Amino acid sequence: MHRHPPVSDSAPAAVVVEDLHKRFGELEVLKGVSLTAHEGDVITLIGSSGSGKSTLLRCINMLEIPDDGRVVIGGEAIALKKTRGGASVPADSRQVERMRTRLGMVFQSFNLWTHMTILQNVIEAPVHVLGVPKAEAVDRARMLLDKVGILAKADAYPVQLSGGQQQRAAIARALAMQPKVMLFDEPTSALDPELVGEVLRVIRQLADEGNTMILVTHEMGFAREVASKVVFLHQGRIEEEGSPDKVLTNPDSDRVRQFLSRHLSGAA
Amino acid sequence: MGTAMTVAVAVSAFAFGILVGSLGASAKLSHSLALNVVADVYTTIVRGIPELLVIYLLFFGGSGVASSIAAAFGYDGRVDLNAFTIGVLAVGLISGAYSTEVIRGAVQSVPFGQIEAARACGMSRWLILRRVLVPQTLRFALPGLGNVWQLTLKDTALVSVTALAELMRVTHLAAGATRQPFLFYGTAAVLYLMLTTVSTALFNRAEISANRGVRRA
Ligand SMILES: Nc1ncnc2c1ncn2[C@@H]1O[C@H](COP(=O)(O)OP(=O)(O)OP(=O)(O)O)[C@@H](O)[C@H]1O
Ligand SMILES: [Mg+2]
Repeated sequence: MHRHPPVSDSAPAAVVVEDLHKRFGELEVLKGVSLTAHEGDVITLIGSSGSGKSTLLRCINMLEIPDDGRVVIGGEAIALKKTRGGASVPADSRQVERMRTRLGMVFQSFNLWTHMTILQNVIEAPVHVLGVPKAEAVDRARMLLDKVGILAKADAYPVQLSGGQQQRAAIARALAMQPKVMLFDEPTSALDPELVGEVLRVIRQLADEGNTMILVTHEMGFAREVASKVVFLHQGRIEEEGSPDKVLTNPDSDRVRQFLSRHLSGAA
Repeated sequence: MGTAMTVAVAVSAFAFGILVGSLGASAKLSHSLALNVVADVYTTIVRGIPELLVIYLLFFGGSGVASSIAAAFGYDGRVDLNAFTIGVLAVGLISGAYSTEVIRGAVQSVPFGQIEAARACGMSRWLILRRVLVPQTLRFALPGLGNVWQLTLKDTALVSVTALAELMRVTHLAAGATRQPFLFYGTAAVLYLMLTTVSTALFNRAEISANRGVRRA
């Protein structure tokens, strides 16, 4: 089994998260998380349910607005400000929109636009957000759909596809923006077991090609295989982080050890 | 002749109603308490009083209100709303109250994940509205709007009280003049039925095309 080579810390930082805090009402979900993804890094976020993995990922592209801390994408910090009520909001929604075009997001539930064909889903944002000429966007979309193995479904609607095919279409949609970083939130959790493999294969290929990715997953075997770094979250804090061999085989933390023993079934 | 006028009133009122309904639905879904209340008051009043009364209120009060609005903008003189305008406004306001509820429900049916996916791609609010929210809302709203259209078409008959020469009024006059009321009212019933049948068929076709992505093509 091949492993992701360690990524040098001298590679430029693609995403930097500094001391991130996020509360939902009384509940403090992130209690000061700092994380750096260098170019070429594949970071897998693991941790038990409710530990804040999704929230962390969603704070990176501002689907959730952090209460405190900084998110820096490709060297540019996302500007936030406080309202009079004390809530955190983006200082400039245009900046957030621009940052999001550099971050491809893949959701657990695919979230394809059901009123558009697969091809239309893939060209939508390149054409309407980036202003790519339609013919060019279509060519690129076909190339991407071929890459994820569903070119034959280009003119079908999302309901006509299996879950695995829909998720691969969603990956193609994210890739079509040529993002600097891909964010995956449990991309295979909503899939029937026999469809998981086809999606993981695509993600593994992206990792092998050197794409920078942050991936939340419960597939421990896969995490070990693709990750350059594994981050374990516990109750809104990073409990342990390091190389997959270290964190997944010989962790310092008892919590990680317990977590791993509960997820043995997922180990490769 | 009256049929053409009926269709003109109904189409204009329905379109006005959709405009009002879109505003009403946005107001009901907005985070502003004031807007919520305004929209709730509007739909409660309009749906809670007899439709004929709405028409009378606009017929006898409409020109006065329009004149004072015009005066507020510096125009002095009386604004006389003609019977057609009053009919469209009155039926449109009634239609709009029902459209408000239909559109609100439809907006709430749009899966939130699809909006999030659009945000995650860097789409602006306006682009999301235009490319995702409106097309999806339309799909969910079409069946309900079809019903509103039928109500609107039939409500135009109430406008006959303002002496506007729409189908009902013309029928009424003809029935009185010829002393063959059953013949004329019967003909009017057939005409209304034809209008509703044709429009139902049109709505069904629109629904099928809007549902391409939902049911298997
Ligand atoms: N929008 C929200 N409003 C209120 N509470 C929320 C919201 N989103 C998440 N939470 C809460 O925050 C906590 C962390 O949620 P999060 O989704 O980040 O966990 P997770 O690590 O991704 O868990 P899972 O493995 O189940 O996906 C949970 O207790 C959750 O209920
Ligand atoms: Mg989650």
